[in-house]
Amino acid sequence: MTAAPATPQNRPSLDEHVDMHRLMVVTRTLEEQLGVLHKAGRTRGPIHRCDGQEAVGVGATAALDPQDYVTTTHRGHAIYIGKGLDPRRVVAEILGRETGYNGGRAGHMLVGSAAHGMMGGNAIVGASIPAATGMALSIQMLRQDRVALAVFGDGAAQTGICHESMNIAALWRLPVVFLLEHNEYGLTAHHSAQSSVPDLHVRAAAYGMPGEQIDGNDVVAVFQAVARAAGRARRGEGPTLIEARTYRMEGFSTSDKGGYQASEERKRWAARDPIVRSRTTLVDALGTARVEDVEQSAAEAVIAAVAAAEADPYPRFVPHAASATHAGPADRVTEDA
Amino acid sequence: MAMMRYAEALNAALHEAMTDDPTVFVFGEDVATYGGVFQVTRGLWEAFGDRVRDTPISEQSLTAMAVSAAMTGTRPILEIMYADFMPLTLDALVNQASVYGYLWGDQVTMPFVVRTQGGAGLGTGAQHAKSLDAFIAHIPGLKVVAPVTPADAKGLMLAAIRDPGPVVVLEHKRLYNTRGEVADEQGPTEIGRARLARSGTDISLIATSRMVLEAEAAAEQLAGSGISAEVIDLRTLRPLDLGAITQSLAKTHHAVVINEDWGFCGYAAELSATIMDHAFDDLDAPVERVATRDMPIPFSEPLESAVIPTVDRIVEAALKALA
Amino acid sequence: MTAPDSPNAASPGTPILVGAASGEYMDRVVVIEWRVAPGDAVEHGQVVAVVETAKAATEVEAPCDGVMGEILALVGDEVAVTQPLGLIAGGADAPAPTPEPNTPADPAPREADDDARPGHDPVVRANDEDRIIASPAARRRAAAMGLGLEGIVGTGPGGRIKLRDVSAAVRAMAASPLDADAQAPSCFPDTPFPLRVTRTGIETGTPVLMLHGFAGDSSVWHPIERDLAAHHPVIRLDLPCHGRSPHDRYASFHDFVRPVLEAFDSLNEGPVHVIGHSLGGAVALALADQRPGMVRSLGLLAPAGLGVEVDSHILDGLCRAASPDSLAPWLLRLVVDPSHITDGYVRAAMATRAAPHIRACQAALAARLFPNGTQAFNVTPLLRRVVVPTRLIWGRADEVLPWQQALGAPGHVALHLLPAVGHLPHLEASAIVTSVLRDLIATAEACPGPPDTDVLTHEVHVA
Ligand SMILES: Cc1ncc(C[n+]2csc(CCOP(=O)(O)OP(=O)(O)O)c2C)c(N)n1
Ligand SMILES: [Mg+2]
Repeated sequence: MTAAPATPQNRPSLDEHVDMHRLMVVTRTLEEQLGVLHKAGRTRGPIHRCDGQEAVGVGATAALDPQDYVTTTHRGHAIYIGKGLDPRRVVAEILGRETGYNGGRAGHMLVGSAAHGMMGGNAIVGASIPAATGMALSIQMLRQDRVALAVFGDGAAQTGICHESMNIAALWRLPVVFLLEHNEYGLTAHHSAQSSVPDLHVRAAAYGMPGEQIDGNDVVAVFQAVARAAGRARRGEGPTLIEARTYRMEGFSTSDKGGYQASEERKRWAARDPIVRSRTTLVDALGTARVEDVEQSAAEAVIAAVAAAEADPYPRFVPHAASATHAGPADRVTEDA
Repeated sequence: MAMMRYAEALNAALHEAMTDDPTVFVFGEDVATYGGVFQVTRGLWEAFGDRVRDTPISEQSLTAMAVSAAMTGTRPILEIMYADFMPLTLDALVNQASVYGYLWGDQVTMPFVVRTQGGAGLGTGAQHAKSLDAFIAHIPGLKVVAPVTPADAKGLMLAAIRDPGPVVVLEHKRLYNTRGEVADEQGPTEIGRARLARSGTDISLIATSRMVLEAEAAAEQLAGSGISAEVIDLRTLRPLDLGAITQSLAKTHHAVVINEDWGFCGYAAELSATIMDHAFDDLDAPVERVATRDMPIPFSEPLESAVIPTVDRIVEAALKALA
Repeated sequence: MTAPDSPNAASPGTPILVGAASGEYMDRVVVIEWRVAPGDAVEHGQVVAVVETAKAATEVEAPCDGVMGEILALVGDEVAVTQPLGLIAGGADAPAPTPEPNTPADPAPREADDDARPGHDPVVRANDEDRIIASPAARRRAAAMGLGLEGIVGTGPGGRIKLRDVSAAVRAMAASPLDADAQAPSCFPDTPFPLRVTRTGIETGTPVLMLHGFAGDSSVWHPIERDLAAHHPVIRLDLPCHGRSPHDRYASFHDFVRPVLEAFDSLNEGPVHVIGHSLGGAVALALADQRPGMVRSLGLLAPAGLGVEVDSHILDGLCRAASPDSLAPWLLRLVVDPSHITDGYVRAAMATRAAPHIRACQAALAARLFPNGTQAFNVTPLLRRVVVPTRLIWGRADEVLPWQQALGAPGHVALHLLPAVGHLPHLEASAIVTSVLRDLIATAEACPGPPDTDVLTHEVHVA
């Protein structure tokens, strides 16, 4: 494994921060557009928006190299965008169009683009954790200069496979980063109804790996924590658990009837909006005009992407060859050639 | 007699059973304060307090706990939010529930219920749309029911809760909002008895769960071309009501079996083989099987509707059998 | 080389045991490979065989040095773990045992080596272009009707014969019997003629009318007929579809009885004693019911129509049997003591049903009267209202019609249950049967004449 340089103190650079800001705005606009489309009945199935959590997905993926792998959850839009996927094709996938990354087969929860190292959203809660761990095993076997990032929720942290994966990763010093996106709720259940401890990073100690809690609404903090953890992983020092505290502003999904998130709580978190906070820092450094420019062009790009994707054709059905139940043609061969 | 939604009928059964028997308890993800993501357990937490519990996302442990809690004096009802997650429960069902009920004989009983719901057609994608009936019905020692009407939803749920052994109740996400008459005094529906949903003489459409509705629509369409189709709602997947099937076949000599799980090694395959075993000489044509295409369920609408069983596919299969 | 562990020279060798290789949960293993052949030198610890245990293939080692002796468990055999797989003879210089002809080291040549030809699928080599494709239900209906499939045109996919095609063929035959004859020579060609009547016995006295059972004919009465004939005129009838009576089709029991009634009427006899066996017993009851004043007593041997079950396998077997060899096993099912079913008996029985059309007609009749192992007609009500002296005689070991069916009889009907007798009491217990029947006849003749017929007019019983 090539020794990667430790994260320089001066990262993310201002340019990197601007780019993260742009991607957060892309993500937010995408979520809002999906909300509009959903209301208009132009989407299909429930959609899990990540409004308010953009800093986690965008900051984490910005800290990765293009060849690094990432697995995520049913709420992965910020990761898709952060990992460099084209918003137009992401939207197309969400709208079930032929031009989507997975030809409309996957839908918004399961988008994958191997070329980007975007190794799948996953709608089986917890499944992203062993998935990244297995990729880390492969990286270790092949002695590659790569890391695998597992993004998962506070709900997923309670699964058995989470425990199993963390133990194995620590045991074998696998190059994996466990990024726990703690948004206070698993579906409708508050984390206090799901976990015996309020802070989850403390569990890292039980596996003998470093664990830290960070402000998940601070995109720079997320970037730096993931960069540090990725550095450790690259150097063969094994896994890290990062608990990024954030909040889900728009409920569990578009089919959520709500009522369980207190409006007080929501207000408190709204005041800590990751985009607002990032903007404040950038405005100080670059001035309002430049930042607004970035934001406006990001939003316009998404709106254009949505319009373009909506005009894309639906896919035509093709049977899945690898699922074949019979070898060879179904008809019995009657003639001996 | 009241008109009820399917979800309400299930809820009524849970309410009744919890009132009647203090050892009954309900647990699962989001079942308590929220009332279940499909609102089937709505109001139970308010009425029964900590006998209704939200759980962490821990299906494998929860199922094993249902088994052992049932062995030691309670009657747990576990909700598994989607049938797609049933594979996480399989060890508890296959290696625990199935085994001990046999090995230990009548030293213990295992009166637990696993409720889950399957079914495609709503764009929920490859991990939230399956009907894994065959996995479940394959397991010795389990009973498996799949109500279609609200009346049976209540009746079979009551029967499942009162049964001394493990019962899996397969609900369907697209049935929760269907309405039907439920008698005020609706008691348990006998497990292992099919329902004649429509009688006919030319062909038997033997279906499970929501596919019964599709079969009924197909029968209606066939009637338009002068074909009299009988529709059998199996209601119980295991143990199977063999008599209902053979009786119908003795009359119609033609069968289409319809199930929303995959076809290959699927529940429809079992039905087809059962007919071969027990009614071979009554067959005037090969049994036609209508099931979900053997592949993952795609998200996009045109793709999803190409893989799931439809009225058209049932009609086509019936016409093929009658050709 | 010496074999320190081998027992003395007289012993056949040291056993090769699976032993610990089996794993703790196993008590049986399957031999999947032998690595040595008889005569090979083997060394202690050398792998000589491979067996399959629950988990995996496991190697079995030689317990000592020596020469491979006899192989006791061949490839594919399943043996207890305690059982030796083979033997190792004393030492390398000990004479090699003669190899078993089929030791695995020398596998028998495969039957056909064109199986080995690449690209040739050995499994599906259907050389059956002329196999008739018909649905199971169509086959069953055709068989029941005595129709061959050869002449039927299939209208299903790929020319499959379906039920509708069999029905069409039957209709066509009914419409034009001559065509039918040409198409299916096996069925229903007879033009109407009366039932066959055989008369024996003395000239005077009340005649005894004998009605045989399904698949028989009047010759079945031989074992008791001689004795009865010494005291009475005896009239034996071949039932419709049987013996030398016409071979017609009957839609129901009611239909089937009608020609018997006609035959009886045309005999122009006075009252008679009626003895019926099995299906003939049911006919006897119908006769007593329909011709009230004309029957003085009823002797019913294992009569049909009193219960639900009937062993359809035996009926099918009798109908299908086309040679003494295929008939004998079914006749044996009718008796307890097989010595009654001599070669001569079988050949004689076969002779009465040698013509295929008789068998076909009887199969069709069975499909009507005894579909799916069920007696489709019920004469219990007739038995209940019978007033003449009546006796039931039944073998306790009757496999065709269980004797318990007699339990529906009314109190005035006597039941004689014969231990260790099957469905043919007149054959297996002819002495008892004769004496019971003579006793019955004597009782009836002592009665004050025929009962009042007016009271006894009933509506026709339809099955
Ligand atoms: C194995 C499994 N169980 C249950 C579910 C249903 N489910 C989907 S998301 C979710 C909550 C997940 O919570 P969390 O991990 O905190 O993710 P968040 O939705 O908060 O992003 C649940 C229970 C599922 N998809 N998979
Ligand atoms: Mg969460």
